[in-house]
Amino acid sequence: MSNLTRRSFLGAAGTAAMFLAACGGSGDSGNGGSGTAAGNSISVMLYTNVMSLDTDLATDGDSFEVIADCIDGLTQMDADGAAKEALAKKIEVSDDNLTYTFTLRDATWSNGDPVTADDFVFAWRRICKNAGEYAYMMSDIGQIKGAAAIINGEEEDETTLAVTAKDDKTLVVELEVPVPFFESLMYFPTFYPINQKFYEGLDDGTYGTSPATFLSNGAYLLSDYTPGTASLSLVKNPDYWDADSVALEGINYQVVGSSDNALTAFKSNALDVAMISGNQVAAVEDDADLADKLTVTGAGYMWYLTFSQTKNNAQGGMLANQNLRLAISNAIDREALVDNYVMDGSLATYTAVPPQFAASATTGEDFSADQQKFADVIGYDVDRAQKFFEDAKKELKKDSFEFTMIYGNNEGDEVAKVAQAIKEQVEGNLSGITLKLQPMTKAERLDKMQNDNYDVALTRWGPDYADPMTYLGMWITDNDNNYGFWSNKEYDAIIADCVTGKYISDYDARWNAMYDAETLVMEEAVIAPLYTKANANLINSRVTGIEFHPVALNRVYKNTTVSE
Amino acid sequence: MGKYILKRVGLALVTLFLIIFILFVLVRIMPGNPFPSERMSAEQIANKRAEMGLDDPILVQFGRYFINLLQGDFGKGTSLYYGAPINTVLSTCIYNSFRIGGIAILEGTAIGLLLGITAALNKGKFLDSFCTVFSILGVCVPGYVFLIFLQYFFAYKIPFFPYFFDPNRFLFSSVLPSLSLSLFTMSTVARFTRNEMVEVMDSDYVRLAESKGMTGGLLVRKHVLRNALIPIVTVLAPLIVDLLTGALVVEKIYGINGIGKLMVDAIAGEGVDYNYVLALGILYSALYIGIMLVVDVLYGVLDPRIRIATVRGANREER
Amino acid sequence: MAQTYTATKSTYVPVAGDFELLTNRDIETDKNFASQSYWKGVAISFLRNRRAMVGLVLVLGIILLAILGPMVSPYNYDQIIRDPANEQVVAKGIAPVGTNEGPFAGMLFIFGTDDLGRDLWTRTWQGARVSLIIAFVTIFIDMILGMSYGLISGYFGGRVDNVMQRVVEIANSVPRLVIVSVLAIFLPKGMGLVIVALLLTEWIGMSKIARAEMLKMKQQEYVLASRTLGAKSMHIIFKQILPNTIGPIITQMMFSIPTAIFTEAFLSFVGVGIVLPQCSIGSLIESGFNNITTLPYQILSPIIVLALQMLGFNFIGDGFREALAPKLEDM
Repeated sequence: MSNLTRRSFLGAAGTAAMFLAACGGSGDSGNGGSGTAAGNSISVMLYTNVMSLDTDLATDGDSFEVIADCIDGLTQMDADGAAKEALAKKIEVSDDNLTYTFTLRDATWSNGDPVTADDFVFAWRRICKNAGEYAYMMSDIGQIKGAAAIINGEEEDETTLAVTAKDDKTLVVELEVPVPFFESLMYFPTFYPINQKFYEGLDDGTYGTSPATFLSNGAYLLSDYTPGTASLSLVKNPDYWDADSVALEGINYQVVGSSDNALTAFKSNALDVAMISGNQVAAVEDDADLADKLTVTGAGYMWYLTFSQTKNNAQGGMLANQNLRLAISNAIDREALVDNYVMDGSLATYTAVPPQFAASATTGEDFSADQQKFADVIGYDVDRAQKFFEDAKKELKKDSFEFTMIYGNNEGDEVAKVAQAIKEQVEGNLSGITLKLQPMTKAERLDKMQNDNYDVALTRWGPDYADPMTYLGMWITDNDNNYGFWSNKEYDAIIADCVTGKYISDYDARWNAMYDAETLVMEEAVIAPLYTKANANLINSRVTGIEFHPVALNRVYKNTTVSE
Repeated sequence: MGKYILKRVGLALVTLFLIIFILFVLVRIMPGNPFPSERMSAEQIANKRAEMGLDDPILVQFGRYFINLLQGDFGKGTSLYYGAPINTVLSTCIYNSFRIGGIAILEGTAIGLLLGITAALNKGKFLDSFCTVFSILGVCVPGYVFLIFLQYFFAYKIPFFPYFFDPNRFLFSSVLPSLSLSLFTMSTVARFTRNEMVEVMDSDYVRLAESKGMTGGLLVRKHVLRNALIPIVTVLAPLIVDLLTGALVVEKIYGINGIGKLMVDAIAGEGVDYNYVLALGILYSALYIGIMLVVDVLYGVLDPRIRIATVRGANREER
Repeated sequence: MAQTYTATKSTYVPVAGDFELLTNRDIETDKNFASQSYWKGVAISFLRNRRAMVGLVLVLGIILLAILGPMVSPYNYDQIIRDPANEQVVAKGIAPVGTNEGPFAGMLFIFGTDDLGRDLWTRTWQGARVSLIIAFVTIFIDMILGMSYGLISGYFGGRVDNVMQRVVEIANSVPRLVIVSVLAIFLPKGMGLVIVALLLTEWIGMSKIARAEMLKMKQQEYVLASRTLGAKSMHIIFKQILPNTIGPIITQMMFSIPTAIFTEAFLSFVGVGIVLPQCSIGSLIESGFNNITTLPYQILSPIIVLALQMLGFNFIGDGFREALAPKLEDM
């Protein structure tokens, strides 16, 4: 299978995968189903509940998507994933790339208040002060002056954050070091504004928990929502500054927890946009009516294996042996994993930075376009795997190994299948290795990884911003996401030079240095990349112009239209 | 009886307190993390824990929690719908689950009794065998599989019912999920009713009543059913609690914002949410304890010879 | 019964026939007399019950297949079946009983294959082993723990009942996922933990039924008569009342089996159930559920096996129930 899905994988740098209405295959829309969109609105599937509409508390893609429907940032994503001005009508950057001055356009909140620079200052300070999951976007990623100290708790006074409202319409942001992708960070929901007066008038903890406690300034208004709800609806915001270009009357979101159920719901027209997984993709491809409604888009995140390299695990640190890690990595047939088990158009991945999310600003070339870069250390090659394994056995003076591989049982249909397939491949190709499987919840998996209490883990990482550093930054010594506790001075030095050091104002030099860093990760098999996830979407043929992105906001509906 | 009930309510409060304490300790031992994070530094997480008071001695934490609880405050979530106070989230879930569960209880009990009585009155005939096989299969097919079946045929093939739950058309969109939830109850009630009635119908006093010329509906109502009801009430009681507190997969499939899904999300979702697990545990226990009290009182009503409330007589028996 | 002891000083050595306890003898005789013909009658009545025999054949058949099925199958339960010509092609998603196309044409897959390309016939019977073990463990828990607990609580009533019922309330109130995931810290995950999890709560339903029956029965004349005659509590509970309450107890037992089987699968939410690639009927139903409309046969075979197993158990239970209750004997 998967010829079709492969062909239509249009995730590269968030290229919009627009579906051209081919035929009127859906005449009988509106069968009385609750989620059925009537007229000029659409019903869209969410995979999980919207956890929070508060930019400080939201951590999942679904929440970010709904927030972004309702609130505009300084910039927004265009169809290609590049930043374009939204609430900022003009962006000035100082010569040293350290000061950004945003001039705001005239826009209003849904209660009639104007959107001011103070709304940004308030929201950003709050993010730093509360120091939640995405606060690191302000400090480590955005490098805003003063953010790190407030987040660490070293600085009590959040007004030291170097974000100032020069007047109602002018926002000035100072950075520690230049951040080449700073403007595109501004479309990430963490950087969205909140109306301070409105927020402070609410009871503690109620912001964003109902339409009455939430303000929009974006394309859509929240019309029906309670925390935990399985269905929520948005309607068009008539007072949006760019209301003329919004064609949809509304969006109804429906949480659907099962891929099989999503497919039936789509067929019954209860959903206009659905996401399905492997087995349903196979069924859809066999169905002439449905096959041309399938659109595969990049989901961005990469699944990989991480190996604990400390003495606490893996029979006294056996996986600290580089040859053993390389043996396991080379014994895995990634193409078979995606073709046979994931089956939704996901891409087998042989690089530490997954393909199709980070393109060079100067050449436009995808950082990981060449998947053969590291062909001499990674790939499905049983002979080579066995050679690595022989070396490892000699070095460790041991013939048989038993490791436990942990994986999440609530992270998608295909994960258990992939885990079993990896077990079968590794055990089959390297006799002497036993890989026991241990499913657990994602929370427990993270807990075990963070406390260095695992041998091998099947884990994933999704990019927060379109730069390879979102991945490479994880493997430096003592990083919280460096679950293998790998440490390499040379690597640390390269990354430091790229983030705050000598390459910071030389884009191309930085880009090449990141290749050097990636090479170290791959040669030492710090991780074993497996595949880059894709989403298989079914889109009703009456709907066009949904923009899909692998980074930040997965779906954007601003330019979506419905044909009757 | 009034004194007995009062005493039981007092005991129930003590039991509930014990349960809350046990739960409180257990959730803090559970694996997983109330602040699951891949992006916060160890420092940030430590600060969050301190803010929540999770570093205090457990008795101090419990005291604080209990005092808030007495004021009706379940606290806030840590990993689930974080910002929102639990009371807000919970009230919607309770509303949905109780109503759909309530309908399921009515359907399950009514149809179950009907099936059971029909089978018992036609003992050994086709209807009896049908009822037996139906009730055995009914417990082998999980409710959510039955729901998919209903959804497929009555919302997709014949698009009569809504495909997903719609709070604005509550009753109409409750039909499919409540039917599928009631399958287990229906089967259990049918089977118990049938078996009990057959046994009672063979008993001496029913034969006596029959010989006195009592027949038909009156006999069934007055003697047979009444005597068969005790085991039925006993099995029904915990099922009522289960139905009211929702069912994970049915809620997930039909898009219902209910208690069952909330519980699993709180335990096995992104993180372990202490406050949600506690709030739901307390809700469940209170319901269970309350319904068990009702059942014990009902025993006395159904069969006046049963006296759990024995005050003097019991002492003698205890020896 | 008779006791002998050596008298040191006395010249007279008492023998068995010297004393007879009248009450004891009466009860003994009664029991022996009754039990012989009673159990014989039960056996005859059970063996004559055609439905009970059908049930016995069903259960024995499933046990036999669970033992032999995986043994005679050409595949291992965890074996991914591959095309020998191209190792990357696996036999996944093949409907019963096989396919006429592709590299796997003509191969027999009675129940089809699963998502990974493993033979479902082998896996279903492998899984049936787990579900049979769970079924028997449940019966054991119900009979030993649940029944005794409920009967004792109901019989003694008063303060004993009060304490015992509060224990039930506490045991039933801690959410199972919570207690099981705490236990999983101390115990290895797998079948053992599943059994411990069942032990924690599966007896409660049965204890409630047994207690209710006891409350109903203990006021009856024959119980009062026994007590007046000086019979011990345990004798009354287990020898006199129990046989009269066996109907609802058997019915309850039958309903607790599928519940237990699904509980095992439910535990997988916290990763405690059977660990993949092992399987159980419950876990097969759950994984089949992911593809219920696209590949319906995957859920069908485990459900059918479970249903047949439950029909068998219920028919046997009915047979016992009818055989044990003398009133129904003539039916």
